[in-house]
Amino acid sequence: MIDLIGLTIAVPLVASGVNLLIGKRLGRRSGWIATAAMAVSFIVALGALLQMFSLPAEERTQVVTVAEWIRAGAAAVSLDLRVDPLSITMALVVTGVGSLIHLYAIGYMDHDERPGRFFGYMNLFCAFMLALVLANDFLLLYLGWEGVGLCSYLLIGFWSDRPDAARAAKKAFITTRIGDVLLMLGLFVMWVHFGSFDFDVVLGHEGSLPEIAAGTATAISLLLLGGAVGKSAQLPLHVWLPDAMAGPTPVSALIHAATMVTAGVYLVVRAHALFEISDVALAVVAVVGLAGALYGGFSSLGQYDMKRALAYSTMSQLGFMFLAAGLGFYPTAIALLVAHAFYKALLFLTSGNVMHGLHDEVDVRRLGGLRHDMPWTAALFGAGALALSGLPPFSGFFTKDVILDLASRDGATWAFVLGSLGAMVSAWYIARLYFTAFIGERRYEGSAHEASALMRTPLVVLAVGALFAGIGLELTPEGTLPMFLEPVLGHVVEGDAGPSTQVLMVLAVVVTLIGIGIAWRLYRPANQERWVSFPEREPGMAGVLAHGFYIDGLYAWIVANVGLRGAAALAWFDRTVVDGAVNGVGTLATRASGLAPIWQSGKVRRYALSFMAGGVALLLYAAVKI
Amino acid sequence: MIDAPRVELWAILPVLMLFGGGLIALLASGFARRAAQAPFALFTLAALAAAAASALWLWNRETTTALEGMVSIDRLAVVATLALCGIGAFGAYLGFHYFERDDFRRNEFYALLLFALGGMALLVAAADLIVVFLAVEVLSLALYVMTALTFRRGPTEAAMKYFLLGAFASAFLLYGVAMSYGASATTSVQGLARALTGVGGSQPLALVGALLLVVGLGFKVSLVPFHMWTPDVYQGAPSPVTAFMSAATKVAVFVAMVRVLDVAFGSLAWDLAPAIAVLSAGSMILGSVLAIAQRDVKRMLAYSSVAQAGFILSSFVSPEREGIAAALFYLISYSAAVVGAFGVVMLISGGIREQTGFERFRGLGRRQPVLAALLSVFLLSLAGIPPTAGFVAKVLVFGAATSAGYWPLVLIGALASVAGAFFYLRVIALMAMQEPRGVDIADPSPLPRLVLAVPAVTVVVLGIVPGVIVPLLQEAGVLTW
Amino acid sequence: MLTEYLPIVAMAVLAVAFGVASLVVSRMFRPHRPNPVKLSPYECGNDPVRLPRGERFSVKFYVVAMLFIIFDIEIIFLFPWAVRFRQLGLFGLVEMAFFIGLVFVAYIYVWRAGGLDWATSVEAPADADLASDSPRDPMAAADEELAAAMHDAEVAGAR
Repeated sequence: MIDLIGLTIAVPLVASGVNLLIGKRLGRRSGWIATAAMAVSFIVALGALLQMFSLPAEERTQVVTVAEWIRAGAAAVSLDLRVDPLSITMALVVTGVGSLIHLYAIGYMDHDERPGRFFGYMNLFCAFMLALVLANDFLLLYLGWEGVGLCSYLLIGFWSDRPDAARAAKKAFITTRIGDVLLMLGLFVMWVHFGSFDFDVVLGHEGSLPEIAAGTATAISLLLLGGAVGKSAQLPLHVWLPDAMAGPTPVSALIHAATMVTAGVYLVVRAHALFEISDVALAVVAVVGLAGALYGGFSSLGQYDMKRALAYSTMSQLGFMFLAAGLGFYPTAIALLVAHAFYKALLFLTSGNVMHGLHDEVDVRRLGGLRHDMPWTAALFGAGALALSGLPPFSGFFTKDVILDLASRDGATWAFVLGSLGAMVSAWYIARLYFTAFIGERRYEGSAHEASALMRTPLVVLAVGALFAGIGLELTPEGTLPMFLEPVLGHVVEGDAGPSTQVLMVLAVVVTLIGIGIAWRLYRPANQERWVSFPEREPGMAGVLAHGFYIDGLYAWIVANVGLRGAAALAWFDRTVVDGAVNGVGTLATRASGLAPIWQSGKVRRYALSFMAGGVALLLYAAVKI
Repeated sequence: MIDAPRVELWAILPVLMLFGGGLIALLASGFARRAAQAPFALFTLAALAAAAASALWLWNRETTTALEGMVSIDRLAVVATLALCGIGAFGAYLGFHYFERDDFRRNEFYALLLFALGGMALLVAAADLIVVFLAVEVLSLALYVMTALTFRRGPTEAAMKYFLLGAFASAFLLYGVAMSYGASATTSVQGLARALTGVGGSQPLALVGALLLVVGLGFKVSLVPFHMWTPDVYQGAPSPVTAFMSAATKVAVFVAMVRVLDVAFGSLAWDLAPAIAVLSAGSMILGSVLAIAQRDVKRMLAYSSVAQAGFILSSFVSPEREGIAAALFYLISYSAAVVGAFGVVMLISGGIREQTGFERFRGLGRRQPVLAALLSVFLLSLAGIPPTAGFVAKVLVFGAATSAGYWPLVLIGALASVAGAFFYLRVIALMAMQEPRGVDIADPSPLPRLVLAVPAVTVVVLGIVPGVIVPLLQEAGVLTW
Repeated sequence: MLTEYLPIVAMAVLAVAFGVASLVVSRMFRPHRPNPVKLSPYECGNDPVRLPRGERFSVKFYVVAMLFIIFDIEIIFLFPWAVRFRQLGLFGLVEMAFFIGLVFVAYIYVWRAGGLDWATSVEAPADADLASDSPRDPMAAADEELAAAMHDAEVAGAR
């Protein structure tokens, strides 16, 4: 099946083409086609995984040439896919979680008028995402990178008749473009230095390190990180993610929680060889990650919109992944990525259930007591919340808390302390969401209807994954998944600094419980009046949290003042200098073509003259040469 | 007693097939000038098939030259002859449709087409400068007459200009042959190569000779500044003739240039390359810039073919095998696209008094989606936009120029491609995005659409999997002597 | 290297110089007294009817001239062949038969196409039908005029 890995990309691509071209005629069937395509893709990836198990660890990295486009002399341009433990793990997450979300979306998009277009874009997204993770060189990776960005844009703005969706789509596209430009610059530097985009050349082959000086490695790494920060919505390019929630909820779950936003983490982990050669790049990754983890967590506390709260949560979780990568715990970063894909997709989809049942109501102040009307949804959301909060034995515990544990044992006490604060806030905000939305008394009118069985089935699967992935896949450093990733990512060695692991585990549980406790104190049903009126009583604090520390506003101010003035200046420059030059060229070209008839007059003697002049010029050249 | 030369007629079997077919067609047209033309068209296709088959038969010949070193028998000639037969078949069909549509019989067309092709097939095999000259004259004379075949004002004027300037160019060509003979005491390609690498030859005279030959041949492929006839002739000539000559002439003459420049004057490559680069750059720039100002599709395509000639020539700065293969690939993809483009233009032009202004193409996408789509594919390929063959061709040609160190040329080429994309895409936009005006004008018959789908498919297939013919062309690029 | 060509260059320069010098010198020294009779073109003692510039001849003359050249060249080829007929042997015979055969094909075409008839009756031109179906613009008129002229010239149709 490894040789057939190209199918994982091809099948969704074909399905996407079918849905986009004849989606109108397919009607509601298009959802089933898309889901089936993802399932096929998943089965192929699974087959590749099984085949990989039959190989010894050192032979598990294989390059599959899907198509040789052209071979001109020595240079061959071919489409190569890389199948190794890391890429197959990512592919399984994309196809597995992707299939479930597609299945869910059939029910969710039931009433939409353009299912063909929606599922076409979704499949297209998956194809690009798979190209991104299965690429064997940075060029294909970049193609996938831009492709998922495009699909993200199309899907955020899927309901383009809503102004906020259109605006959010534009914002996401432009903000991530900043990161993409940095990534592209990184690729340029890479090309100049290595003359190749091939992973084996750039990242070293068979354990050998890439041949590159620390300074150059730092430059490339930081530029790659710039791209990662944009795509993974980390500080300071995070502002697009909360707004991106204007898209349909399955999109939020698939693209803005489980897969695309984790591409940045994947990029850093994949290119870790470069980051390691540079002495500062990894530290920057860790700091960016930690800042994102805290910022996202605290910002989530101020959100009343469930999806926005989850978006900030995603940012915080991605921060933890970057922290792990920055500290060198690559397998653990991937473990958190996998676990997060399960529980964050679950959380988004359950909030999708709420929206579906309550006419798109997502403001927790107008929810409450949903567990009576939507017992399934409440239970599933609770499962996701448990997994995220980090209580043992659920998956969050085996990933997020393991990162903190490793950090402490490694002597990075600052990361442990601040990270634990972040962990506490995580437990706090997710418990807050559960308490405010699902228990207490109903604050909504009418009755919410529970999601259909079609929508519940994938959620149950996701819930099982979210709860038990930690134990099942053994996400701890010595467990199955990290050992599986070892040939690519190396082994995480636990340090021996600071308190012992047992103490740290207890501490982690205590921190989580404190977070949940705070949430209960503040948001228990009895306190409803207090927290609902919180913004009125503490406008400053609430405003800071709700607006994500006003960074968005700051950008808006910068754009509005500095930016617009700069833009005005640039516009002036553009009008007078650049346009002057361009129009000059245009005028020149027009004048030139105006002059052309004099030359191209239709008179044979002029033609002969031109001819003669050319001949004489060539002979003069010959005379000079002689 | 004078010894009879060895007459290895089998070596020029494709040429003989074409000339023989032409003679029969000429004789027949003398007796049936206004008779139904279908038998003529079918006979032409049969002659082309016979020529192609005999060319294929030469593929595995061991001999390198024949007829006292006058013609070479190598895979370059075979591949080029096959391409010429293909283009000829399209030309014959388009001409058939063109004359049939207006019930305007000119059965000499087929004889002339076969004569022109015979000259071209001889040119691609020519291993002696005298044969080069002879072949160029044969193909030119046939083309002059074909240009004037409808006896209208435009075509007649075009043919007259073409003829006068062609005579001028022939003088340069012949003078180049004379200079080359002066330099090496031989006119054979092999002999020149040998004399110039040894001590016997005169390098300065050879350089002058080579440059004069470039002028003469450059006229035929419309390089700037020898291109002035191109817009007038391409616009004036009947569309099927334009389609045929724009593709076939370029194939034949560029292949001859491979032999002349890469083999005969191969040792002067370093001295010739700057001149070639300047001609190439000039053609790319002027062709693209002047095409922008055009308001007539045929004239625009004519200027574009000037630019295309520049692109092809840019691969000649690299004397490597890749350069030859790149030029061949470019020629094939260009031929398919340009035959198709002029074919569609012919269908839209509405009859013998052709109207090909931009107005006629406005909103064509609404009325004639098939024709508009076909023309779009051809224009995209000419513009070099993936996934069409034109893109691959440009990549290969620029790659060859880069590997020879001529990256400024590649830069100019890239800029010219951008300018080119503008005027090609403008026509596509005109067809797709504007409202149609006036009456519906396109030819309604279905068969031409089907025939024109063949080059369209070729262009797309070669764009997606160029690997199917590139190895073949690389083999053809190995010149055996 | 190129010094061996120096005499040729010197010769060329001298030739040009002589030509230019003769013209210049004669212009300088000749008397310049024009009168109308001197200025009029000489036409066999008759009064000149019009200036020779712009005179147009019937295209038929050109056709005849071209045909003449073809057969003339055939003769030119036949002469040396006939002189060396025995030495050339069978090969020469076959080649010449082939050559004459080719010219013969062309001859038959020209004959059938009416190129040998001086007074060709012009058949109704297809072009005229073509031109009449569209509104008459100056171009069309010019086209028709030209088409008519060309039909005169055209070695027109087999009857």
